[in-house]
Amino acid sequence: MYRILALTAKDLRLLLRDKVGFFFTFFFPVLYATFFGFIFSGQGGDGPGIKLALVDEDRTDGSRAFIERLRAAPEVTLVLARTDGSGELTREDAVALVRRGRAAAYVVLAAGFGDRADQPFHGGPLQLETGCDPSRQAEAGMLQGILTRYVYQGMQETFADRAKLRQYLARSMVDVRQADELDPAARAALNLFLPAMDQFLANLPEGQDSLAGFQSLEIKNTDVARQRRGPKNPFEISFPQGIIWGILGCAAGFGISMVSERTKGTLVRLRMAPITPGQVLAGKALACFLTTTGVATLLLTLAAVAFQVRPGSVPLLALAVVSVSLAFVGIMMFLSVLGKTEQSAGGIGWAILTVMAMIGGGMVPLAFLPAWMATVGHVSPVKWAILAIEGAIWRGFSATEMLGPCAILLGFGALFFLIGARAFRWSESG
Amino acid sequence: MLRLDGLRKSFGSTCAVADLSLELCRGEVFGLLGPNGAGKTTTVNMVVGLLAPDAGRIAIDGGGSPAEASVRARIGVAPQALAIYEDLTGEENVAFFARLQGLSGRELTQRTAWSLDFVGLTDRRGDRAKTYSGGMKRRLNLAIAVVHDPPLLLLDEPTVGVDPQSRNAIFENIQRLQNDGRTIIYTTHYMEEAQRLCNRVGIMDHGRLLAMDTVEALIRDHGGMSVVTAENDAGLCRVETDDPVAELGRLQAAGGLRIFRLDRPDLEAVFLNLTGRSLRD
Repeated sequence: MYRILALTAKDLRLLLRDKVGFFFTFFFPVLYATFFGFIFSGQGGDGPGIKLALVDEDRTDGSRAFIERLRAAPEVTLVLARTDGSGELTREDAVALVRRGRAAAYVVLAAGFGDRADQPFHGGPLQLETGCDPSRQAEAGMLQGILTRYVYQGMQETFADRAKLRQYLARSMVDVRQADELDPAARAALNLFLPAMDQFLANLPEGQDSLAGFQSLEIKNTDVARQRRGPKNPFEISFPQGIIWGILGCAAGFGISMVSERTKGTLVRLRMAPITPGQVLAGKALACFLTTTGVATLLLTLAAVAFQVRPGSVPLLALAVVSVSLAFVGIMMFLSVLGKTEQSAGGIGWAILTVMAMIGGGMVPLAFLPAWMATVGHVSPVKWAILAIEGAIWRGFSATEMLGPCAILLGFGALFFLIGARAFRWSESG
Repeated sequence: MLRLDGLRKSFGSTCAVADLSLELCRGEVFGLLGPNGAGKTTTVNMVVGLLAPDAGRIAIDGGGSPAEASVRARIGVAPQALAIYEDLTGEENVAFFARLQGLSGRELTQRTAWSLDFVGLTDRRGDRAKTYSGGMKRRLNLAIAVVHDPPLLLLDEPTVGVDPQSRNAIFENIQRLQNDGRTIIYTTHYMEEAQRLCNRVGIMDHGRLLAMDTVEALIRDHGGMSVVTAENDAGLCRVETDDPVAELGRLQAAGGLRIFRLDRPDLEAVFLNLTGRSLRD
């Protein structure tokens, strides 16, 4: 074991001294995961909820009250002013923000919005103008519900205040009398209802709100820890991919280093030492394993600390990382027999790894791959590696569910290692 | 110290080594001469355990085979190709290979320091090998070979591509190792090195050991006659002779010996006579 550890320490030291190799093993995956995490997040983490560009063309107390209610709403993040601070948004500004993807939708409070809000009993419905990216239909639907809620919240506040409601009734009775275009039947009904309502409010005991005792709807909510069907944040997708790219870099780097040892003659010198060929390969494999697990640990720690990526199960995540590392140790061994020179081994190795990544979800997340490619991806260790890591982070895999991808990864690793070890050449002459 | 009995190795239909037998004593420096393809490297690879012979037997230091790791621990090898890690320092290179030989702790530290001092690299021990000159790399190659204090050393073309200063340093190192009782197999293209360093020399060609003896005996038996070229009253003459001193006396007696040149046979002539071609062909 002492000699194997000496071989491992030598390889790790050489990795640390290889600036390019060190960058692609440790820093590139971090850049990849961080960059694509922000790309996937779309809005760059500006705030929670739907980002809404809001234009106030009415500028009345009614429109301002509505904006204040939306500003306090957790479901939306409002954009009211231009980014350069040159003033409030215009309708054109809002449309441009949606076109550029800086906002999910826009809402215009047109002139008259406040007056309409003050005429709940006649004059037509309250109108809001909205615009939404057609590709974000789900958010458009959510937005309608949110706007409806806060419009009615305003009405409810008005109706709950007896004095304010009586003012509305008095003004409405005047409006009804003056509205020439009003349907006679409707006018007759309102002339009965509005005074009766006003009389009812006048007769309420002092200190009692107008809607006290009125029960519209009560929803009782119980928190249930549901099984998560999707990632909590985009970094839960980008970091597993970053880990995979780091591990691919390790496998390629150590595979090429095996070829380099052969071409430079150090491998022959190792064979002349009083160690077995198995010890030489074990030393290289252990160095590769430690590096891949180190890369995975580094990225997962960074993801947890900086991007709130919390694994669903730490033990299962450890199992996944170990399985992935062992699989790619085997692949490293396989890559080391693919070329006679460092250049050819690197070229062929990266070509194979890139294809593995392409069809296995290393470039485009598994969830976004077309069905046929997801099927083809079964032959790629990258697919099972990402599945195992995501399974422990956000897919909510049980231990039983985790066994499948881990067993497949170990099978890939054993197969590739055996092929590589069998075909391995210890000297340039073979 | 080393005994080869009827060693044979073929690659396909090509016979690389045929019925090679020799025995080296402790403290002997043995020169193995031969052109490319003569079978030197195959012989060395069999001795260090990289190749298994098709037939014959190798016995090192009392009977062990190099296929056994414990026997390989008694061999130090400085391969012709510089087998060092360029991104490790000289000290790290030596210490790494010492660990593979099983050295640890204080012994590791002491042997590493001794090896670097032995080849004159103590001052540069902390520098990465890639910053060394060609001669320094050769010396580092030698330091790695001797770090575990092996009784048998195989030095494969240890002076190829080095400057005269480093070459002399390597010669001195080899003579010190010989004086300390190490047995050394030394392969080289350079006749003068073999003549200077080796107690005995074996000449190989086409996988066969054509002759093996001390340098003087080989020259005497296979080098041919000395050539005396002289100018006297009778004019310029060129004479092949077994006894150049007597021949010069005869020319002097003939009168008016003004200038002469004596060409004694060397290993190059031995090789030419044995193989019909020059060593560097």
